Amino acid sequence: MANHTQFGFQDASSPIMEELVEFHDHALMVALAICSLVLYLLALMLMEKLSSNTVDAQEVELVWTILPAIVLIMLALPSLQILYMMDEIDEPNLTLKAIGHQWYWTYEYTDFKDLTFDSYMLPTTDLPLGNFRLLEVDHRVVIPMESHIRVIVTADDVLHSWAVPSLGVKTDAIPGRLNQTSFITTRPGIFYGQCSEICGANHSFMPIVVESAPLNHFENWSSLLSS
Amino acid sequence: QSFKLLGFLDVQSVPCARESVLYGSLGSLVVGLGHFLATSRVRRSCDFAVGGFLSTMLGYWFYCRYNLAQQRIRQRMLKEGMQNRMLFEGSYLDPERNQTGNERSDS
Repeated sequence: MANHTQFGFQDASSPIMEELVEFHDHALMVALAICSLVLYLLALMLMEKLSSNTVDAQEVELVWTILPAIVLIMLALPSLQILYMMDEIDEPNLTLKAIGHQWYWTYEYTDFKDLTFDSYMLPTTDLPLGNFRLLEVDHRVVIPMESHIRVIVTADDVLHSWAVPSLGVKTDAIPGRLNQTSFITTRPGIFYGQCSEICGANHSFMPIVVESAPLNHFENWSSLLSS
Repeated sequence: QSFKLLGFLDVQSVPCARESVLYGSLGSLVVGLGHFLATSRVRRSCDFAVGGFLSTMLGYWFYCRYNLAQQRIRQRMLKEGMQNRMLFEGSYLDPERNQTGNERSDS
């Protein structure tokens, strides 16, 4: 989860998020180079006397057309690579349905057993000591780690959005529509997210918690829940 | 604690950023000073210094990130290889078993 003063991304827990963080670092470095150049040019212009002698500047026009084109290519190529990587559809090991309601999520695991449960936020008054306020839920989404998970997201009433920042996932939940996303968790852990589309009074109080566990733990959990 | 260059680039937590900026500064100093010593033109030397900073910084950045990407790919391959080794050990898919089998047939 994010801490109180966090500006940057959370630690990446999926390969796509790792790529996004790398691209973000690359984009920031390009931004630093551009800002440094602009700062220097501003300083130069402030020290320069005003004149209207310039009538023709073919060379500089060529430079400030070609250089920005190169910069845009430097940004566009990795960006498109990640965009297409996010849309790759591989054979998923598990399909999970996430249905948004006002103001909780319902999860369905229907691959092998009919496993359905609701996930409500734990109110602050009922929160055990040491747990995260407004982020903990009564039933977490448990998934096997290092497995390809497909999530089908929809909603029952109004627009919601299923988002888990550390996995690099954000998918709109639209009534009457099924949106698909997929991810792989690279390590075990608990990953937090929050509803990301305004959906009413308790929009801020319907979090998402994904728990990634080894396969045997996931099997034990699903057996316990379905019995 | 983080140190953010121009308020947004955290040079301590971004891999290769600190080295890029430091090498860029060194490159800027070398190119700018060198040009001034050769030509004694201050304004043009400053322009060269800025150009040197940008080209050295970006040049080292791409070089470092390329090596980092290769390292990450090798790490992933190593991890997958280790997992596969544990998974296939003793089975017909075990590559070490195939090698031992070939040696036996040769001897």
